[in-house]
Amino acid sequence: MKTPQALTLSRVFPANAFESDKGRGRVWSKLRRDKAGLLGLVIVTVFLLLSLGVLFGWLGQGWSIADGGRWEPMSVNHWLGTNLLGQDIFQRAVFSTRTAFEIGLAVSLLSTLLGALLGALAGWYNTKLGGNWVDGSILWLMGVLDSIPFYLFVAAVAYALQGWPWAMHVAMIVTFWTTTGRLVRAEVMRIKSRGFVLSSRAIGLPVPVILIRHVLPNTLHILLVQASMAFVAAIKTEVILSFLGLGVQDSVSWGMMLAESTQEVLAGHFNNFLTASFMLFILLLGFNLLADALQDAFDPRQASL
Amino acid sequence: MKNLSFRVPLLVLLLALGACNGGDQSTSTEISHSVYRHSMDGAPNNLDPARSSNIYANFLVVNLYDTLYRYKYLARPYQLEPNLAENLPEISADGLTYTIRIKPDVYFIDDLAFPESKGRLVSAQDFVYSIKRHFDPQTRAQGAWLWQNRIVGLDDWKANGSDYKQEITGLRALDGRTIQIQLISPYPQLVHTLTQGFSAIVPREAVEYYGRELAIHPVGSGPYRLLSFNTAGAVMVRNSDFRQEPFSLENEGYDPASQSRYGLEHLEGLTPPFMDRIEVEFIGEDAARWNAFIAGELDFVKAPVSQFDQVLESRNPLVLKPELAENFHFQATLESGFVHTDFNMDDPRIGYHPNPETNARNKALRCAISKAFDWEKRNEIFYYGIGQVFPGIIPPVAPEFNPDQDRTSIIRDLKAARELLKSHGWTADKLPDLEIGFTSSVTERQMFEQFRSFMADIGYPRGKIHPLTFASYGDYAQAYLNREVMLMTIGWTMDYPDAENTIQLFYGPNATPGSNTANYNNEEFNRLFRDSSTMLASPARTEMYRKMNQIVIEDCVTISGISRKMILLWNRDIAMLPDRSFLGGHFFRFAGPGKANFKNRQEE
Repeated sequence: MKTPQALTLSRVFPANAFESDKGRGRVWSKLRRDKAGLLGLVIVTVFLLLSLGVLFGWLGQGWSIADGGRWEPMSVNHWLGTNLLGQDIFQRAVFSTRTAFEIGLAVSLLSTLLGALLGALAGWYNTKLGGNWVDGSILWLMGVLDSIPFYLFVAAVAYALQGWPWAMHVAMIVTFWTTTGRLVRAEVMRIKSRGFVLSSRAIGLPVPVILIRHVLPNTLHILLVQASMAFVAAIKTEVILSFLGLGVQDSVSWGMMLAESTQEVLAGHFNNFLTASFMLFILLLGFNLLADALQDAFDPRQASL
Repeated sequence: MKNLSFRVPLLVLLLALGACNGGDQSTSTEISHSVYRHSMDGAPNNLDPARSSNIYANFLVVNLYDTLYRYKYLARPYQLEPNLAENLPEISADGLTYTIRIKPDVYFIDDLAFPESKGRLVSAQDFVYSIKRHFDPQTRAQGAWLWQNRIVGLDDWKANGSDYKQEITGLRALDGRTIQIQLISPYPQLVHTLTQGFSAIVPREAVEYYGRELAIHPVGSGPYRLLSFNTAGAVMVRNSDFRQEPFSLENEGYDPASQSRYGLEHLEGLTPPFMDRIEVEFIGEDAARWNAFIAGELDFVKAPVSQFDQVLESRNPLVLKPELAENFHFQATLESGFVHTDFNMDDPRIGYHPNPETNARNKALRCAISKAFDWEKRNEIFYYGIGQVFPGIIPPVAPEFNPDQDRTSIIRDLKAARELLKSHGWTADKLPDLEIGFTSSVTERQMFEQFRSFMADIGYPRGKIHPLTFASYGDYAQAYLNREVMLMTIGWTMDYPDAENTIQLFYGPNATPGSNTANYNNEEFNRLFRDSSTMLASPARTEMYRKMNQIVIEDCVTISGISRKMILLWNRDIAMLPDRSFLGGHFFRFAGPGKANFKNRQEE
């Protein structure tokens, strides 16, 4: 049985559009009408299935076996040919999908979570109600991190922690959360004066509860879009770091395939380069289309469209 | 008539212009062929001889400064040749005292460091001073190891505060031109050390005048002087005061049968250095270096392995593609060193163990790993199949190399490897986790993956072989010097053509942080090394070297080895025989214009 206060709160001060069934229906309806967005969703789903196939051991398990000749052309045995060591390029490309999703998911989830929490804290304590030092400290930290050229910073963190399998993940999480943090902070500053938040405070709910139960759910539209963008950025960054030798340690990724291909291209062998580039391009295209569609669907300014 | 009168002067004018153009061409030919444009795949770290610790620096230093000795330009195997020294040293009967006279009338280049900017005479005292610098902590020198614990009084001089006024018993200038070196015990490699850039002769005035800037402001008496130097390249111009020593093919060890194709004969009797200007470009990126060479921006390149398919018509025999052969000379030469993968004998999981039974099992494991290693495939994939695989630690370029040595240790034998594992109780679940150290470059990672696939063939689980990557070679070296790496692949370039230089890599007292990265310690090996280290080259010494080589092979301390082959290409317009080995940069002075261009110059 619901309490009278809760009933009052939800009826008198409805949260944002996404909170309600009607809002969710509208978002999904807009998403369904966005053909490019749907294409993105299909692409991402296909890649997700590929990575699950790798995870469960059904696909790409022979990525490290060097049973072919050097730089073999496409054949029945090696659909996309082999690399310098005689490893199957197709298997390596498929296995790299898992690497991409593993890094993309870990980095996007954790950086978004970190950005949401710190952004919410900063936004909440921006007023005179709390203490401004929290907001000031978090803003200062964001400013410091943002002032360092992104790739330089990520490469430096990855370099410093090299040898540790999660070095690259940490490097990206440490740098990616700030954008989410800024957006969430602004959103929290906006919604904290809304009636449902004021009511929560009026009935004496503690700040963490208000933030987690009432404030953060209302930033979900930002978090979803930011997470999808962080996913894309994480995959791209992984490719760059792996290309520089600072990426995955004991696995294979498209970045590593591209790094290998620098020597192969010189010798006139393009299979590694084209395969890794194509896979990367298609997945990033899919994610970008999906992220754009999500952004449009959640944008209240386009609600009437 | 009017028309004709107009056309005649026009024709004359055109002819005159044509003649002018022809004159310009001959001038540009002369200019272009008095310049030699060299490429290097790395940059010098420092041009101060005491700190010139990489091969790129050594290349330039031996041209900017004088060393007492060098190797003959064309003789192979390498033979010592006096450079600034007048003759080979006089060595006392006990092999402890070396007396060397330097050539008269050799001057340092004119420089602000000298009074009135006028270069002064090079003296024996300069040599003494230059060696002393290595033992002065303020120099932060990197070549002291060559003479450490070798010369009487030199280490004490350092311990007593490196006072340059203090004389050293074992390192003296008897007069302006005579050097005397007294050794603590015989050191047959001493003269070889005097060919290296580390031993180059520096005037004290320049050290005091430039201080740390000596790194970029060399003041020597070599065949060239520095015009400019930065991270992209260096330009050297002929030292017009360099001593007049006519070039003699015979004296330099010319072999007409193998070297006549390089067109060096027309240089006979001329005085080196032949080129007015040497431009050296430091291009680390293979593709960029190769493209610059093909575009005609460079006269010399070491072809990247990735280009071998495009460069070579056939591998056996090595034949250059006809379109390249038209324009370029080529030489395939073995490196003066080798690549080997050492087991860390200090690691009880794979090396020495206090329990004799475990110790024996570890040895069996090492031997099984060695037998599973496929040298043929390693050579084929990473060295285009033209590297030379050899058993043990005496590489083919060393005079003591034994071409008839038993090759069992480098032939893959999976059956024997599996039997070894089985007979010593090594099963998949009992095998230790192997950590292979390397710097994170594409090639090294691929080598690791290949190693793992080799081991998979004897049932070593893939999940038990792990990469231990390092961001830079410095970090990697630090780790293996701290004995933190289980298996490490190392390339060693010999400092002089004597197998002692590679054998010492396994001498017990040289264990890390010394050069014995395997931390190998075998009493019999150590005894043989001690006994041979004071012997002059002789069949008896060679026999001892070979015995040490066999001990290392039988103990399965290292998976060794391969000497890489380099394909060197250079412009046919340049008459020279380049060298990336012991002679190194000394060959610059002998690089001259090709015969055709030389004729042009003579006619002009």
